[in-house]
Amino acid sequence: MVQEIIHLIAKEFRLEMRRKHALGGILLYVISSVYIVYAGFFNIPKQSWNAIFWILMLFASINAVAKSFVQENSGSQLYLYQLAHPSAILIAKMIYNAGLLFLIGILTFVVLSTFTGDQVRDTGMFIGFLALAAIGFSICFTFTAAIASKSNSGTGLLAILSFPVVIPILMSLVKLSANALGLIMDSSYFTDILNLLAIDAMMLALTFLLFPYLWRD
Amino acid sequence: MKNMWWKLLGAALILYTLIGGMTIPLKPGLADIIPTAIKTGEKAEFLVIGYNTNFEQSEGLTAWLKADSIRSIEAIKVVPQSATELVATFLLPNDMPNANSFHPLTVVVNSKADGICVLPGQVALQKGVIDTLNTSQWSSIKSLHRKTDFNFPYRNILVETIRNIFYHVPLWFAMAMVFFIGVIYSILNLRNPLVKYDANAVAFTEIGVLLGVLGTITGAIWAKNTWGQYWSWDIKQNMSAIAIMVYLAYFVLRGSFDDREKSARISAVYNIFAFASLIPLLVIIPRMTESLHPGNGGNPGMGGEDLDHTMKYFLYPAFIGWTLLAVWMSNIRARFLILKDKMMLKFNQ
Repeated sequence: MVQEIIHLIAKEFRLEMRRKHALGGILLYVISSVYIVYAGFFNIPKQSWNAIFWILMLFASINAVAKSFVQENSGSQLYLYQLAHPSAILIAKMIYNAGLLFLIGILTFVVLSTFTGDQVRDTGMFIGFLALAAIGFSICFTFTAAIASKSNSGTGLLAILSFPVVIPILMSLVKLSANALGLIMDSSYFTDILNLLAIDAMMLALTFLLFPYLWRD
Repeated sequence: MKNMWWKLLGAALILYTLIGGMTIPLKPGLADIIPTAIKTGEKAEFLVIGYNTNFEQSEGLTAWLKADSIRSIEAIKVVPQSATELVATFLLPNDMPNANSFHPLTVVVNSKADGICVLPGQVALQKGVIDTLNTSQWSSIKSLHRKTDFNFPYRNILVETIRNIFYHVPLWFAMAMVFFIGVIYSILNLRNPLVKYDANAVAFTEIGVLLGVLGTITGAIWAKNTWGQYWSWDIKQNMSAIAIMVYLAYFVLRGSFDDREKSARISAVYNIFAFASLIPLLVIIPRMTESLHPGNGGNPGMGGEDLDHTMKYFLYPAFIGWTLLAVWMSNIRARFLILKDKMMLKFNQ
């Protein structure tokens, strides 16, 4: 199982390397939207910086994850399900997406900070929250992408299905990152992290319970 | 007729809560007092405005200004002007009730007919000039008449809107119940894909969304009267709107398949996922942030002073009544969906 997962992650990585235009597209998306934000604001207040960062991150993430199930053709998926255990495929995609989303988060953070000045008071803490965000978004989006891929509507349906579900995670993250920005001084942010991890764990458990009913056609 | 009893019970309970909840009057209470600022050592005359009171024909009408549990001052003269207005004259003691330079006073009006009427912390007491002829002293409140009639409690700000608790809260309760039953049908459908399971899951979820919308509307009306606006972007309001969006996404998902069996299976998976995400949305997140809604952000929830025992006689039946009605509605809808499915099969043959 572990061997399978490692091979599957390597496969995802190799596929990504073959489609460099997809990564380039995300990079372009981040830079151009940051530029629009810069052109509109010039001086971003911290409160808005926090909101804008998470909005950019949300849309960049959904575009990145949409590749994983939605834009694959069903023939190759069927082939893959016969080669490997379906749960291993799901785990591999989640781990790979978490890594990808973390990189996108760092990228958005770096680009936004370059344009608008470094607004974060505690960078280490902020990067930690980015990692938490990557894990949460990855679990939520990978599973909803698996659902959306079963219909023919594609990426549009993915946004409809995942945005309401991801809001609890996003709300906790916005509150946590307000801490890292120095907007609020909340010494008990540890409970927020625990809340977030609890939501993650619940979604992860459900994902594994429900995925066996999902992949078969 | 044998299986009708619970439907009749549901209808009867709702009728009971509608009639009782709307007609039983509130307890007498105090709506306002003028002036709202006084000084120690002075002789103050207040106009007290009551609600549902009967000041005119009250025997044993007394008024008090209460600083804390052992320091109060009785009115030297109470003159009723009308059923809802009285003028009370107080001779305030020279000393403040405690070391603070400012102290809020609670107005208490008591009579045999009205019982105890309270307006908490409405009058501000400040240090004034010492009057050496004034011998008035703080003392504790003695011998109040109590009223034991069957009335709903009077609460400032809430006033008559307190009745909304019989509709707003049970609607949300019934919604949670109906969504839960829908999830059970979704699980059954995953284990054994049958048309009746799928039809029931959809029907219960549809009725749940309807109840959720009604719960939001009754909440907005209540918010208009107590918080000041229909929609004040309170966390509880936002989260309930998002919860409804999660379920609307469920219907979008169902509509995006051509294959019936596949649609039933995938939407069952999403339904279970959506129900689980409802728990952080409606229960965890609102507790973490500031909220005006009772039970969230450190506010007291149901219970304590806000849920008088007289209200429980209507609130608990309302929970059962709305849930039964919602199950009944879902049943009819599910039967319709099953019949529709059969008809489709017949026509396609």
